[in-house]
Amino acid sequence: MASTPAVAVAGLSKYFPQLELRHFLALRRPPGVCALREVSFELMAGENLCILGPNGSGKTTLIKLIATLLTPTQGRIWVQGQDTGAASLSIKRHLGFITCNEESFYGRLTGWQNLAFFARLHNLNPKDAVPPVARVLKLEPYLDRRFFSYSTGIKRRFDIARGLLHQPDILLLDEPTTNLDPIATQEVRQLLAQLQGQGKTMIIVTHRLEEVQKMRGRLAIMKEGRLQEVQPAAGESLEDLYRQVVQGDGHGPA
Amino acid sequence: MVLRKVAAFFILDFLEELSYPLTFIWCCGRIFFRLVAFYYLGQLMGEATSPYLTVYGGSYFPFVMVGLALASFQDVALTSIARKIYFGMYSGTLEAMLVTPTSLPAIVFCSVLYQFFSALLEILLYLGFSVWIFKISLAQANLPATAVLLILALLAHLPLGIISAGFLLAFKRNDPVTAMLGQLSALLGGVYFPLQILPHWLGTVSLFLPFTHALEGLRQAVLNGWGLRQLSTQITILAAFAVVLLPLSLAVFAWAVRQAKRLGTLSQY
Repeated sequence: MASTPAVAVAGLSKYFPQLELRHFLALRRPPGVCALREVSFELMAGENLCILGPNGSGKTTLIKLIATLLTPTQGRIWVQGQDTGAASLSIKRHLGFITCNEESFYGRLTGWQNLAFFARLHNLNPKDAVPPVARVLKLEPYLDRRFFSYSTGIKRRFDIARGLLHQPDILLLDEPTTNLDPIATQEVRQLLAQLQGQGKTMIIVTHRLEEVQKMRGRLAIMKEGRLQEVQPAAGESLEDLYRQVVQGDGHGPA
Repeated sequence: MVLRKVAAFFILDFLEELSYPLTFIWCCGRIFFRLVAFYYLGQLMGEATSPYLTVYGGSYFPFVMVGLALASFQDVALTSIARKIYFGMYSGTLEAMLVTPTSLPAIVFCSVLYQFFSALLEILLYLGFSVWIFKISLAQANLPATAVLLILALLAHLPLGIISAGFLLAFKRNDPVTAMLGQLSALLGGVYFPLQILPHWLGTVSLFLPFTHALEGLRQAVLNGWGLRQLSTQITILAAFAVVLLPLSLAVFAWAVRQAKRLGTLSQY
């Protein structure tokens, strides 16, 4: 019997309606701005998918749709076999969404207090949930300091720690190394490699080629809302392949 | 499980408040100076006010003190949910909460619990200062009736706060109707003066505000010791406001959430 994919996406499209007065008055409203066009893929447990694409290509929209922060215009998403439209609360136990927005914490509270708050939202006892992730992410020396006093790199580590509190089997990462200095970038990459080694299923979206080069797993390129899985041919550099797909000469999605 | 989430929000807000150690002192000072101003205003008016205030015991200061206390409570009910949603939207904490197994209605309700606890403390401060410093006797106050009226006042005003939060989620702007309602309630609800001095038509308008009935009931319970039976009119009206407005507000909020997820505006402001 074939096993259930960790994440399955079928015919997913997302249009953002245009909210302008003239559209309200029009008899036939335009469909809106298209962010995703009929995206489909399946990801088995333990697999990784790096999605590369220029700004505005729909990467963040895709990851937010999987995290149920957006509703699709068309298509369906299943997480561990459950339809996200029907069971959006229960599938969140499987998902760790790492927002990569280091400001999405409470600056006046300490790192421990922040992580304890989010642990409780996952129905976990903070004393059980926080120490293991703090140890893995080497955050123990920072737990008692106020969040606003941390560097961007430490804040990003807290962001990753928050996504790991409930030990999810699927991780969604949106530009995990953006705004980080080279050392912090390297630390985050090592951590992602470590999580890969633990068998986590990961979807990482990025517009940085070097990010993808460091990761093992499947690669897809997104352009104007369409997703195309690619595999560099022997001797072909990732940069060349990316340029070909994004500039639309040959490999571009239909 | 639910209790753990309730505790999460309560602890979060308490710790945030604690991180500003001067907040409580500032709150005490604000209430104290406001009471001092109205105490001397009451002294200035002296017996001249008593014909209008006979039903509340004849003195202006206790009359206005109850009005001020309930106005601060109403302010929390009308504005705290939208304030919390606004902070969550621009900081990104709302999205971070929504990727946990916690629904948006649960986030909204839990995140204002501490605000109401804090508003209740403010009411106690108003009453405490009045008794301790200004030597007002509240021995006659009917505590069970006061508690029932406060709960009903909350249930009648909370839907307006929920609608305001829904408006913020859907349109990214504060709801002008709720803001105006807050001002209208302070003016027409009888915080500073008895409604009898208003022109007849304005007095009629004030009857459509839940605040008018909540304040009238609370004054009678605190200043005259009226019990639940004597307050049945106010209790019935407030319950009717709650029964009509609560489902309506939840429907408006659910629509706003659907809109925000459709438009991708949960984290935009």
